[in-house]
Amino acid sequence: MNPLFLLSILIFLPLIGAALLLIFDERNADAMRFWSLGVTLLTFIFSVTLWFQYNPADGMLLADVKEWVPSWNIYYRLGVDGISLPLVVLTGLVSTLAMAASWSITKHVRGYLILFLMLEAGMMGVFLSLDFFLFYVFWEVMLLPMYFLIGVWGGPRREYAAIKFFLYTLAGSVLMLVAMLMFYFYSGAQSDSFNLVALAQSASAGTLLSPGLQITAFLLLFIGFAIKLPAFPVHTWLPDAHVEAPTPISMILAGVLLKMGGYGIIRIAFPLCPYGAQYCAWGLVAIGVVSIVYGAFAALAQTDFKRLVAYSSVSHMGYVLLGLAIWKINEATGETLNSDYWQMGLNGAMFQMIAHGISSTGMFFMVGVVYDRVHHRDLNKFGGLMGLMPLYSGMAAGLFFAGLGLPGLCGFIGEVFVVISTWSFSPLLAIIAASGVILTAGYILWALQRVYLGAEYRGPHPEALTPSNGRENAVAAILLALAVVLGVYPSLLFDVMTPSVRNMAKAAEAGYQKSVEQLNQAQASID
Amino acid sequence: MTGETLRNLLMTAWLLPLLGFAIEIFGGFWGSRKSRAAAWLAVACIGTGFICSATALVVWGNATHWAVLSHGDDHADAHAPAAHEGKQDSAPAQPQGAATDTARYLTASLAASSTEEAAAARPQTVFSGTIYRLASFGSLQLSIDYYIDSLTLVMFTMVTFIATCIHLFAIGYMSEELTEEYVDHHAHLRNGHHVHRPGRFYRFFAFLSLFCFSMLGLVIAGNIFQIFIFWELVGICSFLLIGFYTERKSASNAANKAFIMNRVGDFGFLIGLMVVWTYFGTFQFGETVDANGQVVQAGLFQMLPRDADGNVNRNPETGEVMIGSASSPNPGGNRGTIPYFLLVTAGLGVFAGCIGKSAQFPLQTWLPDAMEGPTPVSALVHSATMVAAGVYLVGRFYPLFVHEVLLTIAYVGCITLFVAATIAIVATDIKKVLAYSTISQLGYMMLGLGVFGWGAGLFHLVTHAFFKSLMFLCSGSVIYGCHHEQEMPKMGGLWRKMPITALTMLVGVIAIAGLAVPGLVGLSSAFAFSGFHSKDAVVATALAFVKANPAHYLLFIVPLITAGITAFYMFRLWFYTFAGTPRDAHVYEHCHETPLIMTGPLLVLSLLAAYCAWGGESGVLYRLITGDQPAWVHHGIAGSPESLTLPGHAAVAAVHHEAGLLALIAAFSGTFVAWLLYGSGRVNVEDIRRQLSGVHSFLANKWHFDDLYDAIFMRPMHVVGRFCAWFDKTIFDGILHASARITLVVSRWDRTFDEVVVDGLVNLVGNTTWSVGNAMKHLQTGRLRQYVMFIVAGVVALFAILLSTFPG
Amino acid sequence: MQFGLQAYLFVGAVLFVCGLVCMATKRNGIGVLMGVELVLNGANLNFVAFSRYTSLGLDAQIFSLFVIVLAAAEAAVALAIALNFYNNHLTIDVDRANKLKG
Repeated sequence: MNPLFLLSILIFLPLIGAALLLIFDERNADAMRFWSLGVTLLTFIFSVTLWFQYNPADGMLLADVKEWVPSWNIYYRLGVDGISLPLVVLTGLVSTLAMAASWSITKHVRGYLILFLMLEAGMMGVFLSLDFFLFYVFWEVMLLPMYFLIGVWGGPRREYAAIKFFLYTLAGSVLMLVAMLMFYFYSGAQSDSFNLVALAQSASAGTLLSPGLQITAFLLLFIGFAIKLPAFPVHTWLPDAHVEAPTPISMILAGVLLKMGGYGIIRIAFPLCPYGAQYCAWGLVAIGVVSIVYGAFAALAQTDFKRLVAYSSVSHMGYVLLGLAIWKINEATGETLNSDYWQMGLNGAMFQMIAHGISSTGMFFMVGVVYDRVHHRDLNKFGGLMGLMPLYSGMAAGLFFAGLGLPGLCGFIGEVFVVISTWSFSPLLAIIAASGVILTAGYILWALQRVYLGAEYRGPHPEALTPSNGRENAVAAILLALAVVLGVYPSLLFDVMTPSVRNMAKAAEAGYQKSVEQLNQAQASID
Repeated sequence: MTGETLRNLLMTAWLLPLLGFAIEIFGGFWGSRKSRAAAWLAVACIGTGFICSATALVVWGNATHWAVLSHGDDHADAHAPAAHEGKQDSAPAQPQGAATDTARYLTASLAASSTEEAAAARPQTVFSGTIYRLASFGSLQLSIDYYIDSLTLVMFTMVTFIATCIHLFAIGYMSEELTEEYVDHHAHLRNGHHVHRPGRFYRFFAFLSLFCFSMLGLVIAGNIFQIFIFWELVGICSFLLIGFYTERKSASNAANKAFIMNRVGDFGFLIGLMVVWTYFGTFQFGETVDANGQVVQAGLFQMLPRDADGNVNRNPETGEVMIGSASSPNPGGNRGTIPYFLLVTAGLGVFAGCIGKSAQFPLQTWLPDAMEGPTPVSALVHSATMVAAGVYLVGRFYPLFVHEVLLTIAYVGCITLFVAATIAIVATDIKKVLAYSTISQLGYMMLGLGVFGWGAGLFHLVTHAFFKSLMFLCSGSVIYGCHHEQEMPKMGGLWRKMPITALTMLVGVIAIAGLAVPGLVGLSSAFAFSGFHSKDAVVATALAFVKANPAHYLLFIVPLITAGITAFYMFRLWFYTFAGTPRDAHVYEHCHETPLIMTGPLLVLSLLAAYCAWGGESGVLYRLITGDQPAWVHHGIAGSPESLTLPGHAAVAAVHHEAGLLALIAAFSGTFVAWLLYGSGRVNVEDIRRQLSGVHSFLANKWHFDDLYDAIFMRPMHVVGRFCAWFDKTIFDGILHASARITLVVSRWDRTFDEVVVDGLVNLVGNTTWSVGNAMKHLQTGRLRQYVMFIVAGVVALFAILLSTFPG
Repeated sequence: MQFGLQAYLFVGAVLFVCGLVCMATKRNGIGVLMGVELVLNGANLNFVAFSRYTSLGLDAQIFSLFVIVLAAAEAAVALAIALNFYNNHLTIDVDRANKLKG
């Protein structure tokens, strides 16, 4: 199939599937579930097809451009490159698995499935769109289903959590909107004023924004994306949203939604405001490091199993921010120092996003499996699951080890690549970041001990703890297998990502140097 | 060609256990609980691994014409083929005088000038290469490599051999797990009953296989990053095996403790990695050679060239250390120089990892707790192989250690060996005594490496692996025979019931204590078991070091005293357990010798524990280990007033007799005291314990390290954790909620304004209109006639107004 | 004797007033209708007089023709109303028709 046509398929297939759900009989829930599973699976298969058709050497693969709102220069512009492709495939995968985990949803099944598929379309759209406005639209499109999915199908405090999630994200997207308008007007409202590729090119040539404006625009964009990431100190929506969301939605939240923050930074914030990005680099790294340590400490103190996993996400996504931002320059000339180490950090951060998408999806799923049985998540009221549900516990241990960053599993590569490339940026921050490995081991092993090990189960409904069923085993096994594959053979991802990431970094470096030259000229003319 | 053969053989040995693991864990889960198939598969994998490793050793030897044995004691000779022609007669058993050694040293340093020529003539002994690439970023490359030299081969053979023995032993030891209904007497339910569970025989062997894979991966690793990978993997295997009895709280606690304390060390390791990565730009040990034989990337070991005196090249002005040299091109990402303190940091960081893994002070407390695992695990993981990995890494990474790092290593080893030995004196659990003894012996190895005894430390590693795994297996045999009784006060007199175990244990005890019968020609040829030779080598190096650097005299005194303590507590263990009269009739009654599958490995291992180091430092084992030792180690490094003097082989050989004699005296006195207190029955030990109750409780509480760490690390960590959670809930959410509340208040004001002012105005207009209309409606009487009247009146009135306004 | 414009106007005014009074006082619907006719004819008289004595000319006469036609139409409609009213109320007393009272 034509790869360019595939891009649109990826977005619209779930939407069509959602629309066709309306012809199903409301009472036949299983049929609708299987239909939705089929749709997500097909979407995933298409995304994998795209993966195999993409050649890393091609750079950006652009689909045909269609006019959308011509008077405002808004286009329907899709494209994919090594940065977005892994995330697209991840979205397809996590959606499929989350759908497979959705059998436990029994309330308003049709509504749930329709919102779910809309969410998938929104997520695909975010990763595929190369028009800033389209990106923004999809960003918002994905927000609403999420709001309802948490607010209707969530736990006891679902409304609070849903509103918190919604407001946080909306606050971020408003800032993004402002930045978007800045680009629109400062690029002269030309035909390319929302074209992310063209904007990046002009930023690289130093003709987009003045250095001062770049800092403003970068901060606006960064705050928007940092909320989504989530980075300290705007992370507090995450634990609540995760805890209240139903299991499949937690999986999507952790597996895909958080990645949009990182993706936005590397796709939009860095290329469009290289000077701003470099100007703020130290702050970004510091925020990343604080997120790592703070999230780990907070996780250590949790008694709610899901909350613990949620805080581990804060900690793990800190590595993403850290890896992205270790961009060191020579203050005098504006040249990038240790470019290769920055490459490593960027790639490590990208890898960490995928790895976290697998490990934390798995962890949330594993929490969901026991929650479905005993309907509580109090870490102090578990124990002995290893004996009661051996296969499940074994796979859970594997996935938690992936989160712990055990070599041979996916979490390790991202974490360690980011950390060891950080020394060249700042030894102090590198050391603090590295201390995260101790804390991570602490909270994950402690949680494992309290839940899976021990002589007997200490909570309510012990009779409900039956061995996991085939569907649950399949989901866990797929995630675990991927964790192992990526952990053992990371080139699988790196081969796709590295060229695109290098192009991005080179363009950003050039843009930064141009901005510095402009500043020097301005300084010279004052003198 | 040789390289490929070696690689294939070792990779087979390395990967077979992984395959075994995969089959065992899945096959076992769905298979019968009563099947021994998993065990035999595991044995087959590791056994084949041993055959491959041994073959590889032979292949390597043939390829190098066994040069290492013919003149291996003098490594520098390898550089100077001309110099060794006349020395072929230095047969392994022949005693060496100090004078000959000095002579060799001189010829060697003379020959060093013709290194280029020598290198061409010398057969290749180190084979390295890349298995596959993990990632590459510009000039930075991360890959899975192999690095095969004599040390790798010796380690491979040793690990696979010991592992095979232990696997066999474990088939007997773990046979109780071959049931659908295993009763765990150490795990209790809330209602006081024991835990009943299906047996997990297969799982044990699967984990053992996974461990073997990880351990061999660590040994074959061709870069420091790969070592880190397998470092973590052996850690997790250790976690799984310590926590094998998952139902026991103490076991899972111990497993967590082991892993987390290792992670503390790994934190340092990571820092070391970061420095190396940032300044050297590669992790590979060996050079990367392209298809044309051109070096495209120098390895770590080539990047820090030593000058003729063995010192690193420092820029005289800045003090920075030069990386690379003219002969080893560095197209990689390195920076040309590295500040000296960062080189020290890198070394200390990597060593921190070794501290964790090898349970050195101050991270030693996890190892005794790790005895919660089944005894074969203690034998394999926690004495012979994994904990020795720290020592192995120090040896492997030796070329990047500078003086300060070596001194730290020496002192850490020195403290550890003493602290652990003192605790071992009072331990009553048979496995705990061995655990502390392991820590202490690891301290010896570290000390040996730290005082520049590269060969001595690694020599001790190998011999220790044999005799300590032997002793652990013996203790396992005792525990199995006594139906899981581990407390020595309940044993005694067991040699009558289990003679083979007692005898093999005695071999191990003599080996570790370092007893020997002085030979006719000299101490080097003394009739002694392996432990004597290796410990002697360590102590001799320490003495040579102290003689060169008198300020560090403790580095010799402490190990010497501890040699006596070692002999004391080991014989105490033996006397306590096997000699004397039975102290607990019940235990003695039911005690029995273990089956052949367990005693067999004991006998095999006892042979090796006794004779593996035959010949001492001119023996085969020592020569093999030191076959590829860094060249400058041999010469020693001459110090200046502000830096240390590191003794070369010549200096060590000069004090060998003296040190050996002192160590022997210490060992014999320790043995004698042990016999006096525990073997002769003439002294009441209880009296002594009462008189020294303060010391005793201090030692029994393990110097209060656990309490200390609990107070200064664990609790603060949880406090900080709770603080962060509280901060999140209270401050961040508080701010959020406050802003939400402020928004609510503002919107309430807004609503009031809307309702009162804006709506008020609109309503006012409406109300007025309405009331006016209401008032006017009364005019609409609905009567036609009145309307006519109104019209008339209106017209008249209009006219009246018109006329009055505009008269005329 | 020559009558001037005033005379016609006077008659017209008398007719007009009579009509008005008739409309205002009669309770009988037909009476009211007759009052209306009087008013209209008073006005017609004026138009015709103006046609004769002023420069309005034929315009005024056309107007009066209109008024006559209008009156006829009005009478027809009004009589129909009256008839319907009678059908509903059995009377044509206009005071009974007070549904438009506010």
